Amino acid sequence: MTWKLAALVAALGALPVVAAAQANFSGKTITIVVGYKPGGGYDATARMLARHLPQHLPGKPTVIVQNMPGGNSIIAANHIYNVAKPDGLTIGTFNRNLPIAQLTRVAGVKFDITKFAWIGSAANETTILAIRDDLPYKTFDDLRKAKEPVVIGSTGPGANTYDFPLLLKDLLGINLKIVSGYSSSADIMLAVERKEVDGRAGSYSSIQPFIDRKLVHPVIRARSSDKRLQQLPLDEDFAPNPRAKAIMALRSAPELIARPYVLPPATPADIVKTMRDAFEATIKDPATLAEAKKTQQDLEFTPGDEAEKILKEVLSQPKDIVDEFSKYIKFGE
Amino acid sequence: MADAFVQGLLLVLQWKAFVFMLLGIGVGFWVGLLPGLGGATTLALMLPFIYNMQPVEAFAFLLGMHSVVATTGDITSILFGVPGEATTAAIILDGHAMAKKGEAGRALGAALASSLVGALIGAGALALAIPIVRPLVLTFGSPELFMLAIVGLAFIASLSAQGARGMLRGFLAGGLGLFLAMVGQDPQAGIGRFTLDTLYLWQGLDLVPVLVGLFALPEIIDLVVRGTSIAGGVPPGRISHGALEGVKDVFRNFWLTIRCALIGTFVGITPGLGGAVAQWMAYGHATQSARSPEERSRFGAGDVRGVVGPGAACNSKEGGALIPTIAFGVPGSTSMAILLGGFFLLGLVPGPDMLTKHLPITFSLVWTIVLANIITVAACFLLLNRLTALTAVPGHLLVPVILVLVFIGSYTSNSSYADILVTIIFGAVGYFMVMAGWPRAPLVLGLVLGKIAENYLYISVARYDAAWLARPVVLVLLAIAIGVICYPVFQAWRARARSHAHG
Repeated sequence: MTWKLAALVAALGALPVVAAAQANFSGKTITIVVGYKPGGGYDATARMLARHLPQHLPGKPTVIVQNMPGGNSIIAANHIYNVAKPDGLTIGTFNRNLPIAQLTRVAGVKFDITKFAWIGSAANETTILAIRDDLPYKTFDDLRKAKEPVVIGSTGPGANTYDFPLLLKDLLGINLKIVSGYSSSADIMLAVERKEVDGRAGSYSSIQPFIDRKLVHPVIRARSSDKRLQQLPLDEDFAPNPRAKAIMALRSAPELIARPYVLPPATPADIVKTMRDAFEATIKDPATLAEAKKTQQDLEFTPGDEAEKILKEVLSQPKDIVDEFSKYIKFGE
Repeated sequence: MADAFVQGLLLVLQWKAFVFMLLGIGVGFWVGLLPGLGGATTLALMLPFIYNMQPVEAFAFLLGMHSVVATTGDITSILFGVPGEATTAAIILDGHAMAKKGEAGRALGAALASSLVGALIGAGALALAIPIVRPLVLTFGSPELFMLAIVGLAFIASLSAQGARGMLRGFLAGGLGLFLAMVGQDPQAGIGRFTLDTLYLWQGLDLVPVLVGLFALPEIIDLVVRGTSIAGGVPPGRISHGALEGVKDVFRNFWLTIRCALIGTFVGITPGLGGAVAQWMAYGHATQSARSPEERSRFGAGDVRGVVGPGAACNSKEGGALIPTIAFGVPGSTSMAILLGGFFLLGLVPGPDMLTKHLPITFSLVWTIVLANIITVAACFLLLNRLTALTAVPGHLLVPVILVLVFIGSYTSNSSYADILVTIIFGAVGYFMVMAGWPRAPLVLGLVLGKIAENYLYISVARYDAAWLARPVVLVLLAIAIGVICYPVFQAWRARARSHAHG
């Protein structure tokens, strides 16, 4: 009898601790799993958030970053989906194009991207095409009238340096010649500098320093919520038919959630809510923003429910559009 | 400009910057010693610490750390035959062979002294190149980079044993390396090649597990089989003695050291070639200095020139690699990409401004490389006795420790069990290659140059059709490649002619 009583007392005593553990991360360590090696953009964002998140999470936990590279971050996504516990202590961030991998049925994908508990996205990207300043193509109209092929440097299929100009060329008939195989976007920039190529596509944030330096200027963009770029022509406006427009929209959709952050599927709702609030507060925090500005990252929080809406739109495309899309776009990077 | 040069030195010598540099050196020292844990990863980890620093302090810290990694990486490579860094594998061939002969002191002395000379030349090149850096980098387009990769591959001829059989084996091993470089998603069509349906191989084979397996495991097996210490029966007292001799070796082969340092600088300046290439080209060049086939056959068995060459190239490339980063804001390697992030963080925009408005800061980078290397080499010489004594520790005490470090090291490259598997597989490959007398260096050269050669060839043809073949620099490089391939034949011919003259 006494032992039962003792057990009851112990259980009662333990109860508040258990309840607190769900909403409170006090004394815990949260790991952000990044699907890339250290040194890239995804890694930089994760490390910056890891520094500022603790102030906005209840209990001020320690937040660390773990790199799990490979398979263009499919490995990390598989891990979060199948292995990580849904206790809020493991967060995943990975390739924004994973929805495309799922859509085009890439081998090795062992997750359903819509079933993650989405915290949201920490940034969005706008893909632009930039042309060297010394060339006569000042506007997109000039480019459409180009007689000689305009040489565009790129890394390879699956990257926006390749896919965006490919659609401009194949769907809008712009006279482009895409040369791929450069090892990084910095490498392409150097090729622009030595006039080996006439321009490159890429995210606005990565090209901006070179625009400021008057090496290149932007001529056209993909879908974007960036206010600074609204006056730049939009690729979809030139689409000759609805199908071409749908393909362009599909390619650019993941860029609206360019730094995805997720929790494992079936994470309790209160933890998801706590995380969403913490991410939103962190990204709005002037300290985070000041640091982001210095490191040339544009942070913008897209909450998880909006991210899920974008994903559903991507994944609910009719089969003929998906088939057509797969002809042009391969999953990569 | 002379003003900025002196100003740069004074900036680094401010007490805060200097202390941060010492801190950086301390961190870099250990990162270099530990196998696998690379300079790039550590830079990424250290980046947050610079938030509240002034630019000069931050770069003294980061660059101080980065520029000593190669030096202490050499130490691990020489003592244990375990590549301390992916960029210090070539020094194993002769450096570790010397350690096994009980000449660890001499090998370390030579490696440290050549590292220092290399670093000074690299930093000097950076300082001298500042006025002409833009045209220099812009001369090298994709066709030139492709031909550079070919020149690198041509060094297989020097890295192979003499005679038709040796050459055949060398080029076959090189071919295997090129084949291994193809593994992964190809950049033209986006198709996976030889990925065995695994996600792990999508992004190709990682250099660290392959190198660690290829070089470290055979040495560990050898150590276990012999059942002695690394230095065999050599009495511990004698091992550390040769350090001064090693330093003298560098000056005895001074022109070789200079030439190898220049090779390193050049590879460093060229974005996209990657740091792992410099050491092998330098090693190949060092073997060319052999005057007779007998002398040539001593390479790989502990010739000090095989230590001096890669040692110099490995450290001189860092100065070179800073050039495109500073002048164009285009990083030549992962480490430089992270350093570039540091520039932005501090509100500096790399590009033409660094060569005019911020010139003193640019020169402070040069000085940091110089000072960090001098301090590290001095510290290493103080520790030399302790370090070399490790080669007298019985194998059964050493092997468990090395094995743990080796596997942790290769695991850090992808945090995947497949890293361990790759290490073991290449360990077996390396062991059988050593047993059967096949050279491992060409395989590594093929692996590090394969992707570069393939991509730049594709770009050259896609961009210029056949016209790229007529570019002057391409022709010069082609002539050099032919010269490099024919040199061993010429060496053999000269040796024969000489022995005829004697006979």
